[in-house]
Amino acid sequence: MDSKTISAGRIADKVNKGELKARDLIEKVLQKAQEQNNKLNIFCSIAGAEALEQASAVDQKIESGICLPLAGVPLAVKDDFMYKALPTTLGSSQFKSFNPPYNAATVEKLIAAGAVVVGKTNIDNMGIGSATLDSPQGPTLNPHEPKRVAGSAGAAALAAGICSLALESDSSGALRQGASHCGVFGLLPSAGLVSRHGLAIHSGSFCRAGVSALFPEDLPVALNVISGYDPRDAATAAFREMNNRREKTDDLSNLVIGYLEALPGSVADLRRSLFKDTLDQIAALGVGKVEVIFKHLPEALRAFQVIAAAEASSTLLRYDGIRYGQAIEADDLELLYCKTRRATLNGEALTRSIFGTYFLSKGGYELYYRQALKVWTLVRQELKAAFEQCDLLLMPVVRTEPFLASGEPVFTDLYENDLYTVPASMTGNPAVCLPAGDLDGIPVGVQLIGKRLEDVFLLSAAVKITPVITSAPQGLDGGGN
Amino acid sequence: MEYEVVIGLEVHVELLTESKLFCACPNRFAAEPNVNTCPGCLGFPGILPQLNGAAVKKALTAALAFNCEIALFSYFDRKNYFYPDLSKGYQISQFHVPIGSKGHLDIEDDQGSIKNVRIGRVHMEEDAGKLVHSPAGDTSLVDYNRAGVPLIEVVTEPDLRTPGEARRYLEKLKSILQYARISDCKMEEGSLRCDANISLRPAGSDTLGSKTELKNMNSFKAVEKSLEHEIKRQRAILKSGQEVVSQTLRWEESSQETIVMRGKLQAHDYRCFVDPELAPVQLTAEEVAEARENLPEMAEARAARFVSDYSLPAYDAAVLTASRNLADYFEACLAGYDNPKAAGNWIMGELTARLNSTGSEADSCRFTPLFMAELLKMIDEGLISGKLAKEILDQSFASGKSPRQIVEKENLTQISDHGELEKVIRQMIEEHPDSVENYRGGKTKALGFLVGQVMKETKGKANPQLVNELLLKALDG
Repeated sequence: MDSKTISAGRIADKVNKGELKARDLIEKVLQKAQEQNNKLNIFCSIAGAEALEQASAVDQKIESGICLPLAGVPLAVKDDFMYKALPTTLGSSQFKSFNPPYNAATVEKLIAAGAVVVGKTNIDNMGIGSATLDSPQGPTLNPHEPKRVAGSAGAAALAAGICSLALESDSSGALRQGASHCGVFGLLPSAGLVSRHGLAIHSGSFCRAGVSALFPEDLPVALNVISGYDPRDAATAAFREMNNRREKTDDLSNLVIGYLEALPGSVADLRRSLFKDTLDQIAALGVGKVEVIFKHLPEALRAFQVIAAAEASSTLLRYDGIRYGQAIEADDLELLYCKTRRATLNGEALTRSIFGTYFLSKGGYELYYRQALKVWTLVRQELKAAFEQCDLLLMPVVRTEPFLASGEPVFTDLYENDLYTVPASMTGNPAVCLPAGDLDGIPVGVQLIGKRLEDVFLLSAAVKITPVITSAPQGLDGGGN
Repeated sequence: MEYEVVIGLEVHVELLTESKLFCACPNRFAAEPNVNTCPGCLGFPGILPQLNGAAVKKALTAALAFNCEIALFSYFDRKNYFYPDLSKGYQISQFHVPIGSKGHLDIEDDQGSIKNVRIGRVHMEEDAGKLVHSPAGDTSLVDYNRAGVPLIEVVTEPDLRTPGEARRYLEKLKSILQYARISDCKMEEGSLRCDANISLRPAGSDTLGSKTELKNMNSFKAVEKSLEHEIKRQRAILKSGQEVVSQTLRWEESSQETIVMRGKLQAHDYRCFVDPELAPVQLTAEEVAEARENLPEMAEARAARFVSDYSLPAYDAAVLTASRNLADYFEACLAGYDNPKAAGNWIMGELTARLNSTGSEADSCRFTPLFMAELLKMIDEGLISGKLAKEILDQSFASGKSPRQIVEKENLTQISDHGELEKVIRQMIEEHPDSVENYRGGKTKALGFLVGQVMKETKGKANPQLVNELLLKALDG
């Protein structure tokens, strides 16, 4: 059986009923992980004995009469989540043998729910980026078009039919862009719903943990498992406000979806029309639609870049080689710092460190950082106003097709690609990426943004909308067993 | 030309909390390095700060005790710089909005009148670790036990004018912090650290001269000494027509002089910004009112009460209230003993001497206030002599056993039995006829000798007053 062809929910159901042994499934999954990894460069490390032990432990629990929501579900974990059993490389050669002494809260919860960690998925240096082009082991290739990048290795692990669930992180849109490029469903939960304890964040304001899956029905199950108040992450105080929020959308005709008439940024014509078609398909369900104004969308991206760089420049200071990670020996302290940090940081992490230091300096603070904070406030106000007119907001996910794996994209292109994903990052709203079709054989997703803390409502609507905008999960050889 | 001295103090105080400011590690002084650490205070990836509510309460209490305005909404910033003792590459500190501002303390100036010293701000921050250098000087190791320990920084306005005022301000500050149980203020363990900013200006001028910052003073006396030294140095520079270089100086206790640590020209740009990983600190008016309500009675008020309630001399009251521990001890003792003057004398004298010689505190001493009450009562009852009481105090102080138990177990009770004493007295009179003769011949000194012989025979247990009385009766009768 191919895990890709059945949902995480179906796997759990079968394992819980004793129709399928988690260990048998995981043995096959590990084999497939190895094969696909050779082709697509998905994993930093693949679990072996640990995964089989976990699977056996799940089987034992089931035999003793315990029911687990994610029993036996093969899980991909992005390499910025701490997991004691495997190294956490943070996308840096200086961390290739770093085994953290603690598990991320999300990893712990998923394992407790019966999921089995198959491997740690490839990331950009320090988890900053949406293309894995800044990874020491090179980019993860797109299972649909291996000449191009997957965007997110977790999404690739799903699309390649290895895993049924992927634990992902997202600050500027990596989770959603990867889901779009690979044709899977990606959920960025509301800020504060999911603990980030044990997630190596580089921006406290924007980094969030989320999940991707091959089937939309699996997202609410996974969200239920990973969300909750955790004193180890002050932001999760928000979880307590989640009560009494709308949960279900029984009648789609009561729903109003907001959209942007003119899409700013250079979006290819075919992508524009695919987006318009999707909007029409949804409207055909009887859903109301209303045009909303998002005047500061381009400025939102600029402000995001300034603030994210400022926060990264500070948060990444800890990687000095003194307490953990590999230091580069030097004769004096200053040289040790320089050499170690130069070897540890690269690509966008390095760029943000340099720019962010300037944005916070005496010369840059008023000019850039304070201005960016003001724009941030405007963006929040604008999105709030938009949600007074609608229940959900439909937006494109990404402007262009995935980058060529062999090429080196101009960094401004990398930045511009975040245009449609940073608003939800900045406002704390939940967003779900849904596959909406393909162009030249490469999937294209759309993004539904929900009101803050109305994640369950958003997912409920997404599950109902999915059948009319996408015929089947966008697997490589998808389509039943 | 006459110069006016302008001094401002920055005091860092470690808060008395169970755990550190942002993690659950014990906030405890430890000799062994890196035992009080966790991935959080070591700055590991993926560990977010968790604010310690107890530390916020202590900081709030301090701000209130220093008469500050309280910010109901404050937050933490990051102060970014590289140093190996700083585990995250930044210190979390309240830079933009401190929890307390615009406070003041009243002290006595050198002429003995009341002076108002303004306190600009009281803010919370985390401490850094410590570098330990090898004796050969070729390696440095880091001890992160102190990393993340909660601190408050109390910053005065440049209102102090003499080294003596600076010392009295520090003494007042320490007394308040100890009374409110905010800090133990042990300078030798680093739980109170003081930096001083000092400049001179022509008398009558209202602009500030260029200042120097003094560091590394490990006692209040050192603060006073270093300021006196710096005043002389700056005055000499100014008198010779030169300018004082604005720089940081390090006080060397051994040579009693300052040496240059770093010039201000290399001042850091700390790039402070709000820490995005922490929620703002929000206090309600009720919480502030409650903390204000719970402020303890401070030293001066307590001393005044000791004078009025217990009829103690002002001097005794001042000594007993110098530390809250001693004052608490005194009042706890009075719960079991009703002669305040006697209790005060014993606590100020005998107990304090033993506390000082063992380096212990009245609140953790094994000789409890109730033991003291018991001991004093036994003296009043005539069961033991004052001399014996001191020996019993020694034993009880060391063993933690009750004085009454010691007396009973070692059969130390004073002999006040008439029959028993009369027997000994008769024996002594027989053994020392010469002395009896001398006494009867008018040499009263001989009486003392006979009393001494009785005491010796009874191994000091005889009630001396009674011996005197009975001996006189036997000799004169």
